[in-house]
Amino acid sequence: MTIDRKVVIESLSKIKVQGNQDGLIPGFGVLVNQLPASLWNNFADMLTNSVGPDMLEPAQYLLRWAGNECGYHTGYGIITSEEWKAVVQPMITKQPDDILHGAFAIFSAWGWAQCEIVELVAAEKMVVRAYDYYESDIVLKGQSRVMSAYMLEGVCAAFFDLAYGKKPYPDGLGTFVCTQTKGIECGDDYGEFVVTRAK
Amino acid sequence: MATQKTVEWVIDHKFDRRKCRHTMGDVPMVLHCHHYTSNYLRLADDAKDMNGKAIMCKASEAAFLPVFKSYFAQHQIHDLAERVGLIEEYWRMSGMGLLQFERIGAMSAMVRMPRSHADEGWVKKWGKRKDPINFIGQGYLMAAMAAIFDESAGSFSVTETQSIVSGAEASLFTIVRS
Repeated sequence: MTIDRKVVIESLSKIKVQGNQDGLIPGFGVLVNQLPASLWNNFADMLTNSVGPDMLEPAQYLLRWAGNECGYHTGYGIITSEEWKAVVQPMITKQPDDILHGAFAIFSAWGWAQCEIVELVAAEKMVVRAYDYYESDIVLKGQSRVMSAYMLEGVCAAFFDLAYGKKPYPDGLGTFVCTQTKGIECGDDYGEFVVTRAK
Repeated sequence: MATQKTVEWVIDHKFDRRKCRHTMGDVPMVLHCHHYTSNYLRLADDAKDMNGKAIMCKASEAAFLPVFKSYFAQHQIHDLAERVGLIEEYWRMSGMGLLQFERIGAMSAMVRMPRSHADEGWVKKWGKRKDPINFIGQGYLMAAMAAIFDESAGSFSVTETQSIVSGAEASLFTIVRS
């Protein structure tokens, strides 16, 4: 891996994001917003604690799906952006592995999670560890019985879809799935996310 | 518009390199895209049995109210016009669109939104629809009114009476004291 995470994070965390005169932030092929993380956490937390046991899984699936689509489309926008070409592209020596490492460095720079790839089997499996992530903020004291980093799960699978999807963008979404196996919100030291091929 | 005042929200942006977190005035902030917003709004709309729309409004009110209250306290903002201007500016700055308070009183207000991330993002992704979807905006305005009048959460209710997502040139929100 030739991606210098520290350099990528340092460079891309400095990008100033602010609405234009129309109050919009067009960028990376999408419309971006910058909001308090608690907005997304509040909704996911309140919704999953309001549904009955029979509806919990569908609700979780749809929260994950939001991250999945977000990661796939915005992820593609990131790895084809001018910022990427300027900072990350020159560090890439092995494709698509280095693209994935670079994408996760940007993931950290954007404030989604302090995370990195710890295991990578080309086109088969990826394990990501997150040492800090905003989705764990839903638990302030104690431990949750439910792992709830839905956005992270969705985005991890989506990034692997971009790298190894059965079809290139925009038709490769859903090739892989991600399962959260550890969670800070559940008392673990870090969150762990395992991406494997969808059945 | 007698209440309008040009103001600037002082951005106290920090990036914590150890945790990789962005904060503005100690509030953790995160970037997302219109795909994410649209999917959350659709989930809120689809979750009819547990009143998903109300959950999203409450989630939004709970996220923004402390931001406004703490900013007004920290910067000693007491003037109503200045508070309104800051609420409009924060929305613009966040990439959520343009907000214009057409009128505001202690019991009610009327707000126009000529540009909207939520509506325009939805249309871009799925096309127009009949019913409003900007539940984040509704919750934001609930928080805004509560902060402007030094009230608590749940003091105001918001109805979106016309929407960009339905083809209107601007979204309109009517706010009344609960």
